[in-house]
Formats: sequence, structure tokens, C-alpha cells
Amino acid sequence: MTMALFSGSIDRLTAAGVVISGAAADDMEVDVFVLLQGARAFKKEIAANTDLLNMSESSNLKEEFLQSLQNLKVKPWLDFFKEAKELTTVRIHICGLAGKLWGGEKLEDFVDIADDICGIGEYITSAQEADVHLFI
Amino acid sequence: MMTTQELNDLKADLVVDARGTACPGPLLEVKKSIGKIDSGHIMEVLSSDEGTKRDIPKWCQKKGHDFLGVIDEPGYFRILFKK
Repeated sequence: MTMALFSGSIDRLTAAGVVISGAAADDMEVDVFVLLQGARAFKKEIAANTDLLNMSESSNLKEEFLQSLQNLKVKPWLDFFKEAKELTTVRIHICGLAGKLWGGEKLEDFVDIADDICGIGEYITSAQEADVHLFI
Repeated sequence: MMTTQELNDLKADLVVDARGTACPGPLLEVKKSIGKIDSGHIMEVLSSDEGTKRDIPKWCQKKGHDFLGVIDEPGYFRILFKK
């Protein structure tokens, strides 16, 4: 499965995490290409700070959303990605341009589950070869 | 499909208690636990998440496990399959 993760909003990141978990349960290989807004969310100083992440829709419901996740014992979005990497092959690629947009030039600028910084050609090739291709 | 009585008579080799977790929690717990039992052994999953009743049978079908059935209990489900 190839996922283009364009969004850096906490609701879509959570959805992406749930989807990747399902893929991990199925032993699917997953390549996540973190694009534009997504790259901001994967920056070390931002990823775990929900104050710095917006909602993609219904921004007025952010606190209710976060509280409901907590009540349901749903893990933070980044933990979904970490757990999926433990269960199956999940490679997380940060788009080079996107990283630069948010001041991230090197892999060390991003959370430690990021595997590399890549170009668009690698994403296109991965999308061409994947059985499942999602754009979030 | 086995009857509820037949399911109740089964003795699971491993019980995975995933009650209180929402999707995809129960499925991930099953995935993490499947390696703990041998082929031919029975796993029982306890879940309070409605979607798990559909998730586990489909997962079993894809993974080649033998889905045995679901028992409704007050506030949760017991889902049984043979590895």
C-alpha cells in the first residue's frame, strides 16, 4: 500500500494512523509519503503537541474530538505509526520540498520513525506499483 | 457455523481481552497475539467494539484461520477462531 499523506491536521493524521494499523494487521507493506502539510506534523517539535495541530474540518470541535479520543483510549496519532512499524514493514518518506517548507532540511529534523527524505519520483514509482494507493 | 452451545463448550488456548479499546485496538491485539498460539489452537477475543465482530472474521478469512463464531455477552462479545 502506498499512502500520500498530504494533510497535517490531527483528525486526518488519526485517520491515516487507523488505516495504517489495519494494513499492519494484514501484514501489508506500507510506504507513506509525507507531503506538504504532512511534513510539518512530522517535525520533532510539532508531532506530539496537539496545540500546534489543527483540524481539517470542524475546527471548533477540536477539544471535543481530542477528549473523545482520550475517553475511548485511542492512542495519539503518532503512536499508530510507531506500532504499525513494529508489526509490519512501514517506510515513512518525507518529501524533500515539503520538509524545506517547514525548515526541515535533514532527517534528524523529523520524528525518529521517519526513514528518509525523498523526491517525487520515488512516490510516483511507489504509487504505480502499489495494489492500494491512498491520498489523505 | 457452530451453535452458541458448541462455542460455549470450547476451551480457548488463549484469551485476548481487548475490552475497552476502540477500533483498531482489538484487531491489533489479535495480530500481536497470534504468534503466541500454535496452529490448531483456539483464540478467544473479548471485545466491546461492535466493528470487531466483522473485522475478525474477515481477517481470519484472509489469514487462513478458521473463524468459529461470536457469543454475545452483556456489554461485550466473545469471538472465537482456530489458528
